[in-house]
Amino acid sequence: MRRQLRSRRAPALPYGYRYRLDDQDEVNQNYLADEEEEAEEEARVMVVPDLEEEEEEEKGEEEKEEEDSHSQETDSAWWRKLQIVNEYLWDPEKRTSLARTGQSWRVMIRPFAHSLNFNFNVSEPDTWQHYVISLNGFLQGYNDSLQEEMNVDCPPGQYFIQDGDEEEDKKACQFKRSFLKNCSGLEDPTFGYSTGQPCILLKMNRIVGFRPERGDPVKVSCKVQRGDENDIRSISYYPESASFDLRYYPYYGKLTHVNYTSPLVAMHFTDVVKNQAVPVQCQLKGKGIINDVINDRFVGRVIFTLNIET
Amino acid sequence: MDRKREIYSVELSGTKDIEKTDKEDGKEKSRGLKNKCLERKKNHQKEELKKELDLDDHKLSKEELEAKYGTNIITGLSSAQAAELLAQHGPNSLTPPKGTPEIIKFLKQMIGGFSILLWIGAILCWIAYGIQYSNDHSSSLDNVYLGCVLALVVILTGVFAYYQEAKSTNIMSSFQKMIPQQALVIRDSEKKTIPADQLVVGDIVEIKGGDRVPADVRLLSTQGCKVDNSSVTGESEPQARSCEFTHESPLETKNIAFFSTTCLEVSAPPVGTATGMVISTGDRTIIGQIASLASGVKDSKTPIAIEIEHFVHIVAGVAVSVGIIFFIIAVSMKYHVLDSIIFLIGIIVANVPEGLLATVTVTLSLTAKRMAKKNCLVKNLEAVETLGSTSIICSDKTGTLTQNRMTVAHLWFDHQIFVADTSENHSNQVFDQSSATWASLSKIITLCNRAEFRPGQESVPIMKKTVVGDASETALLKFSEVMLGNVMDIRKRNRKVAEIPFNSTNKFQLSIHETEDPDDKRFLVVMKGAPERILEKCSTIMVNGQEQPLDRSTAEAFHTAYMELGGIGERVLGFCHLYLPTDEFPETYSFDVDTMNFPTSNFCFVGLLSMIDPPRSTVPDAVTKCRSAGIKVIMVTGDHPITAKAIAKSVGIISANSETVEDIAKRLNLPVEQVNKQDAKAAVVTGMELKDMSPEQLDELLANHSEIVFARTSPQQKLIIVEGCQRQDAVVAVTGDGVNDSPALKKADIGIAMGIAGSDAAKNAADMVLLDDNFASIVTGVEEGRLIFDNLKKTIAYTLTKNIAELCPFLIYIIAGLPLPIGTVTILFIDLGTDIIPSIALAYEKAESDIMNRKPRHKKKDRLVNPPLALYSYLHIGLMQALGAFVTYFTVYAQQGFLPTTILHLRLEWENDNVNDLEDSYGQEWTRYQRKYLEWTGYTAFFVSIMIQQIADLIIRKTRRNSICQQGLFRNKIVWVGIASQIIIALILSYGLGSIQALNFTMLRPQYWFVAVPHAVLIWVYDEVRKLFIRLFPGSWWDKNMYY
Repeated sequence: MRRQLRSRRAPALPYGYRYRLDDQDEVNQNYLADEEEEAEEEARVMVVPDLEEEEEEEKGEEEKEEEDSHSQETDSAWWRKLQIVNEYLWDPEKRTSLARTGQSWRVMIRPFAHSLNFNFNVSEPDTWQHYVISLNGFLQGYNDSLQEEMNVDCPPGQYFIQDGDEEEDKKACQFKRSFLKNCSGLEDPTFGYSTGQPCILLKMNRIVGFRPERGDPVKVSCKVQRGDENDIRSISYYPESASFDLRYYPYYGKLTHVNYTSPLVAMHFTDVVKNQAVPVQCQLKGKGIINDVINDRFVGRVIFTLNIET
Repeated sequence: MDRKREIYSVELSGTKDIEKTDKEDGKEKSRGLKNKCLERKKNHQKEELKKELDLDDHKLSKEELEAKYGTNIITGLSSAQAAELLAQHGPNSLTPPKGTPEIIKFLKQMIGGFSILLWIGAILCWIAYGIQYSNDHSSSLDNVYLGCVLALVVILTGVFAYYQEAKSTNIMSSFQKMIPQQALVIRDSEKKTIPADQLVVGDIVEIKGGDRVPADVRLLSTQGCKVDNSSVTGESEPQARSCEFTHESPLETKNIAFFSTTCLEVSAPPVGTATGMVISTGDRTIIGQIASLASGVKDSKTPIAIEIEHFVHIVAGVAVSVGIIFFIIAVSMKYHVLDSIIFLIGIIVANVPEGLLATVTVTLSLTAKRMAKKNCLVKNLEAVETLGSTSIICSDKTGTLTQNRMTVAHLWFDHQIFVADTSENHSNQVFDQSSATWASLSKIITLCNRAEFRPGQESVPIMKKTVVGDASETALLKFSEVMLGNVMDIRKRNRKVAEIPFNSTNKFQLSIHETEDPDDKRFLVVMKGAPERILEKCSTIMVNGQEQPLDRSTAEAFHTAYMELGGIGERVLGFCHLYLPTDEFPETYSFDVDTMNFPTSNFCFVGLLSMIDPPRSTVPDAVTKCRSAGIKVIMVTGDHPITAKAIAKSVGIISANSETVEDIAKRLNLPVEQVNKQDAKAAVVTGMELKDMSPEQLDELLANHSEIVFARTSPQQKLIIVEGCQRQDAVVAVTGDGVNDSPALKKADIGIAMGIAGSDAAKNAADMVLLDDNFASIVTGVEEGRLIFDNLKKTIAYTLTKNIAELCPFLIYIIAGLPLPIGTVTILFIDLGTDIIPSIALAYEKAESDIMNRKPRHKKKDRLVNPPLALYSYLHIGLMQALGAFVTYFTVYAQQGFLPTTILHLRLEWENDNVNDLEDSYGQEWTRYQRKYLEWTGYTAFFVSIMIQQIADLIIRKTRRNSICQQGLFRNKIVWVGIASQIIIALILSYGLGSIQALNFTMLRPQYWFVAVPHAVLIWVYDEVRKLFIRLFPGSWWDKNMYY
């Protein structure tokens, strides 16, 4: 299957139309106002000549624009307008071109239950059983045995960069189910649902070639979105660092990075007010992380409600 | 008489209709007294009309008339009486035909054509939202917005079309304003000048020569009065009017002058005016009744309106059937009904070319403007094209084909016929003027003439000066002025001592002059008149300046010349003179015209001179052009058959080598009955013959003869002729100027009124006004009409093409479950944004070949939208476009991570708001908003690639048969404006408005703009190949099926 996909990939279209996974972000994320700085690094890691050319082109445009605007200096209003246009074409501070930016993380949670409202009654297993099944199913790929067999145990705290042929198969780092401790479902097969302490897993949406800030892993922190902050009295995070380790990045795409296992952070809501809907917002925290986009409510954060009845 | 009764019955039923509607109005208003008063007025009017039919005022004596109308011939009405009567009968003016109320016109634009489909779409949108809202109160307002956008589109295009229509009508109404007419009336024993519309029945009016008769008038006292009745009866000869009752029929009797006819002259002594009593006013006049006959004739749809309707039906049919089929498919594929409704809306919107009708209106009004510059003023926008499809032109003679003024055409003296120049400015008189006979003749022409130039026209060219006098005298005056110079001066030098004006009994005119030579004390008697009467009075004839006895052979020569000139339809006058001997008539002799104390015989015959209303110099050429354009030109005139035939021959309506049945009979020496009618190409039919014809015979006549002249026809017969032509499936154009023509003008597919000579009633009834009264302008009109038809075809083909590219996304979306490739709003931006200017630009395209060399299109066979056009646009270019657009779409999705295989049947997950980590082909995960954004990028890409391919489509649509290289890529600059506009609009939408979410546009990467370019090139090449095969194999299967 993998081979098939790959073979379809390259020669199917002429060079200009080759699928360039790395620059998908432009469209992907271009409505963002902010920008992360790793865009510069990106080119180094994933060598795609086209991208560089494009950027140069854009810079050339920018210079031209500036020349134009210099000639108009006398008229300050014109000058300002041109500057706005200029910034629109290329904003050196934010490193955006045509108001497009680099990328940022989206997150999603598990169990996935067609909505982001977790309503269940502790004493009625029927109301939460499907969450358990969903989580179990999701975590099958994280079983320790499987991970040990397929993936390598790579050193934590640094990117797992695999240079070399673009089409060469890439190794994946282990993320064992057991990392999730109480939320692994190994000790408590109900993931805490039976006790009114539900586990919810947070995962970041995969983006090919994208890496979080070097040396500063992205942390997860949850709180009540609005209302009484004390509605959630305690949350446990697994792994305890509540962060996504750098070794899981970058992702090389499913064609070569076959066994890639998304890192997870489990949030164990051990003490939540019962019998009322509690809106929870889990955010990614870290340098340059965007988590307040209005249009897309999954950028760097996820909002869901917990309504645990007893 | 039968005919007349028939027409009157039409009139009656016509008035009944009016009566009915009026009564309804009255009922609505029903307000006591006022209502009663109205009713009474109606009844009165009705009686009045009935009375008109057996009008007997002409039979009454003056005293009876006075009694009947409560007036006095000497003192006239009192002002109070007049005011009362005015209040009772209303002003003395023709009520203009009732136009459609503005609001109805506006509503027609709102619901006509595609509007109704779009309204359905909008309402479905709102219904869908209603259902959504009742299920889920937080449902998005998208559908409401879409509904509003659709409604807005309908309203905007409707308002636009209405505005365009109104604008072209306004040109007309400003044109119609005319100077109010004045009338001299006797009221309270005083002569007063009042506006003519204030006249009432019973008023005593005075009419001078040159005045328009202000109402139907029973003449009470007059002498030598002549009226031009051409606008009522079609007779172009001046009609004498007197006070005597001469005929039973009010139309024929001499003592009634009709409203709006012109009083040509009234003999000077004793008063110089004709006095008459007003017997009917306004709509109750004969003219008013004929005009109302016109409003009884139903307005038929213009050919282009029929074509557009046909086209709307096709497109609406496709839209509705595809919509319903896919609605059923969607429902049976277990889509939610609500979703299916949304699909249905998408399909309708994709299928309906929203901008097209507005484009057509603009195109037509552009042509209308262009035609107005060429002196064809189009009242009804749709009539622009009608001329193009015209296959028969029924043309009036006087004023349209001819210059409408008598002009000296031939002279005969010294036993020789000389030809005078009859062109518009007379500049080129070439005949031999050295003969002494000419000197004498010119002297008679100059002196025996009562016509005079109106003073104060020194700077006006001779031919354009206004003249007081009848048509023949005017012709002679102008002729002599051109030939000899200052006529008035010559007359002054040859003082007139006595004169006998022309009258119908003696048929000659005579005047006695002193000679300009002071030594020559003789008097000169000059005389002109009907040639045979003149010849009777002569005993000698002048040849080369010498008087010779008038012998038999000379008399024969005279007769031959007379017959020859008469035979070509010219009015011939004879001229003679006599020098009175001084001994008998000394200088002091007093001439008495009553006792004729001078000789009136033994004159010396000098020459003949013939006059004709000559054809306009541009007409023969125009007729030839019509002929080569396959248009049959029929002359319909009230004039004499001989004159009509002569003019027809000289302008080419009867071509030089074709003969009538009578001609053949004469040539073969056979009785007319024995000639095979099929042999005669031409036919001259008089009104009398026409009267006895059955409709079948008329049809046969029209079908079998290609060159027909109808002479001596009445206005009613004109209507019959038009109907006959229409029975042949012909598109008939009728030209006319008189009120009497208005029914035929209305009945015709396109009525063409004369702008200068035309009466207001004719202009009202017509669809087009020729500002220069020139037949040649019609040819321009035909050319423009044909061009616009061809170009509309191109516009429609261009517009229809992209419908497939807009429709396919929806169909594939439903069937294959792809993320929607193009949104409804985006489609509207193509239809009403990028495509508008290019489709108008095609209206500026030059003709591919000589459009004036082909037959007029067949009303029922050559449709605007024919199957090849629809098929080629939809299934050839349309599908290619859709393919190109899909390639772009897939490229965008693939490059972003969704390979084509991945997006198949992805719709449910794709559109699920709760799936925020949808995996693409590379394992990346997408939130709903990211996907939406990608979808909009897809819309933009799809939009852009349709736009790019529409550029190619625009270029290929420039021609239908020729290669673009033959047509010239750059000759039509507007097309390039169109292309630029497309690109600029797309750039603005993508990069300027790309950040506005509601519009669903995104800033597209530059490279996506070029994905469709190879497809655009392919389209061009494909079409060039199609055209090449059409040119290579004319008449082949390919030609028949691929040429639209």
